[in-house]
Amino acid sequence: MRKILTASLAGLLAAGAATAALAQEPRRGGVINVATIGEPPTLDPSVSTTDVVGMISLHYFETLYTFGTDWKIVPLLAAGDAQISDGGKVYTIPLRTGVKFHDGSTMTSADVVASLKRWMDVAVRGKQAAAFITDVAAPDPNTVRITLKEPYAPLLSLLSLPTSAAIVVPASKAQAQLAEIVGTGPYRFRERQPDRYVLLTRFDDYVARDDAAQVYGGKRTAWLDEIRFVPVPNANTRVEGALAGQYAYADSLPVEAFPSLRGQARTEPVVLAPFGWPVMTINTRQGTLANQGVRQAIQTALKPSDMLEAAFGDKAFFKPEGALYAEGFIWHSKNGVEVYDQGNAAKAREMARAAGYNGQPIRILTTQQFEFHFRMAQVAVEYLRQAGFNIDLQVSDWATLTQRRTDPALWEAFFTHSPFLPEPALNGYLNDQSPGWWSTPERNRLVAAFNQESDTAKRVAVFADLQKVVFEQVPIIKIGNFNALAAKSPQLQGLTPAAWPFFWNTWLKP
Amino acid sequence: MRRYVVDRLLGMVLVMLVVATMAFLIVRVIPGDPAGIMLGPDATPADVAGLRTRLGLDRPIPVQYVIFLRDLVVGDLGQSIFLGRSVLQALADRTEPTLALTLMATLIALAIGIPAGIVAAVRRGGALDQTTRGLAMLGASIPSFWLALLFMQTFAVALGWFPVAGYGEPGAPFLERMRHLIMPAVVLGLISSALITRFTRASMLDVLGEDYVRTARSKGLAERVVVMKHALRNAMIPILTVVGLTVAVLLGGAVVTETVFGLPGVGNLVVQAVLRRDYPVIQGALIVIAGIYVLVNLVIDLLYTLIDPRVRYR
Repeated sequence: MRKILTASLAGLLAAGAATAALAQEPRRGGVINVATIGEPPTLDPSVSTTDVVGMISLHYFETLYTFGTDWKIVPLLAAGDAQISDGGKVYTIPLRTGVKFHDGSTMTSADVVASLKRWMDVAVRGKQAAAFITDVAAPDPNTVRITLKEPYAPLLSLLSLPTSAAIVVPASKAQAQLAEIVGTGPYRFRERQPDRYVLLTRFDDYVARDDAAQVYGGKRTAWLDEIRFVPVPNANTRVEGALAGQYAYADSLPVEAFPSLRGQARTEPVVLAPFGWPVMTINTRQGTLANQGVRQAIQTALKPSDMLEAAFGDKAFFKPEGALYAEGFIWHSKNGVEVYDQGNAAKAREMARAAGYNGQPIRILTTQQFEFHFRMAQVAVEYLRQAGFNIDLQVSDWATLTQRRTDPALWEAFFTHSPFLPEPALNGYLNDQSPGWWSTPERNRLVAAFNQESDTAKRVAVFADLQKVVFEQVPIIKIGNFNALAAKSPQLQGLTPAAWPFFWNTWLKP
Repeated sequence: MRRYVVDRLLGMVLVMLVVATMAFLIVRVIPGDPAGIMLGPDATPADVAGLRTRLGLDRPIPVQYVIFLRDLVVGDLGQSIFLGRSVLQALADRTEPTLALTLMATLIALAIGIPAGIVAAVRRGGALDQTTRGLAMLGASIPSFWLALLFMQTFAVALGWFPVAGYGEPGAPFLERMRHLIMPAVVLGLISSALITRFTRASMLDVLGEDYVRTARSKGLAERVVVMKHALRNAMIPILTVVGLTVAVLLGGAVVTETVFGLPGVGNLVVQAVLRRDYPVIQGALIVIAGIYVLVNLVIDLLYTLIDPRVRYR
């Protein structure tokens, strides 16, 4: 009897283990609904830097390079690393062979050259790179050569990003305004119903890389039959939809929803830590805060840790950290951070007076469309008023704010946020054309050195020096780090939390 | 009568011209522009300026206005900047959910509001009247987004009877799409029924005090006949007015409800267009919504003649 019981128990355990193993085993098939924060303004990621466009389009368009583990640049449509010669001025990029476009044609260097030229013409970041590029050529059908007039280290990062992206399309379709969506990705664009869905289906002729998957890099397998990106602008509706099991993945949820997502049968929280950093950008070109001394006084007055607490509440979702890159990034440095998070009203008042501040109004722009911006701004206003600043907080919708900030006569500071971009040169504060317009001899010298240096270790050292200058000259005030919250169905397996969520290599558990 | 209708329709042209001009000016007075939104947060001013030129937004306002009116005359409301289709097509795409939602919500509101109003009037001062008035006050005070979330949590998340949001999956059959409208329709219907209840009650109270009602009762007619046949018909004109206004509001887009339930209706289209600064869609939608208002009001005015033969238009 005991033997029978033991055998039965062993059988049950084996069956259980087999079921568990089956659940882990990738499975082809299934359809998922992904709730996004809204309708993408376009399906072409070259012409937009909007994250939702990047998130959707990286399933159907691909780039020469992409980001692997720890934001390392890894080849995607390129066969391998770029050969950099002539003192960093020539990039020779080998291409993979046999890569199919969704229209059935095969990718060649002619397609890549046409696509890169289009990117340099229409994309914000392409134009940024174009200022350094003298030639893009195809020495043979499987090689592309980019020649620069001077070394430009951010180039490969720019070629890897999924927003303002250097996508590869067939040469015959590489017009400035794409007439159809034809890429090389594991999913192909099928249909768009504005404000209802963007429908993608598996591309059965997808030619995958054979190296191991690592975040966006390596082997991509489209297990799912279909992905539907559903715009759900109301954050509470995204939460309720996740709780009801209507969405296999719900993006960008309010952190207050975290407790309600735990312990649920139909959804579970996904935390991406660290995701990004809220920042107060300062107008260094015109107005009261063009005075560096007053900017330093503002920095002294603020207490970012309190601003973060007001914005995110739960400590699981923020970290007061002054360093421009969070711990874990190679760019992380503590250079200059000692002036972060002071909240010293008396000292700030004294500094402001010494700098010649005399009660002039300081206009701070913010929006309630990003609730955490607004909450941070409210706390900032209180700290600044305590230090004697005359603050005019102007609240508008985000579209209004983004237009006003282009005119230096209209503002002194505004709140925004950014993900931790893998290449520091892509940050707005290092672009003297971006609102804020920070341009000083020290900054310009260091930025030039940073962009021209191809040795990573030396670039890290230069960036540490740049960070110190940021704290001295205060073109921005980084508030801290914050984490992003999303939710996924327990059935959805193989998901890697990522800044731009992706669903190849994911499958549905039976 | 025919003359009256023609005069009203001609007057409508003038109203539409005023609305079109207001719509044109309003979207250009508010700050923010579609080029900046389309290009994303990292776009440089030069890129934004370039796109503005391509979209024709850099032309002088009077020139844009003349082009706008010229196109409007031939029924061309322009092309949506973001949706890749004409404004008329974009509006047509949103017609089904908005029309169906309006119909369902109105039926629910009428099914609740008119009987409740009649009962409250007939039992004036009683417990039933007090309860109905209390509920009607509550219905009029509850924000629709709050009721929508409450319904979502109860009937979609906890009970799983209805989908939380959206308008069905790609290729969803008609009945499946209608299933997605049940919760929003009930939310809108409940809120609209509060107003209809209050108007029905007030109108019935006025009529029930009339001499002819007393006469009908003194003739020995059953109370049901007195209330439903003699009183209700004469109380219908103010009720019809409020029902007409409710329908017009719903057709124009139940903005909050459509947004919360993620319905691709006219209201949602307008909200998204405003956030994206999609000028042609905002203008086109405002003109069409204003046209619907005017037309619904005209229909209501004509319906008066059916209900009350004493009403004559010349």
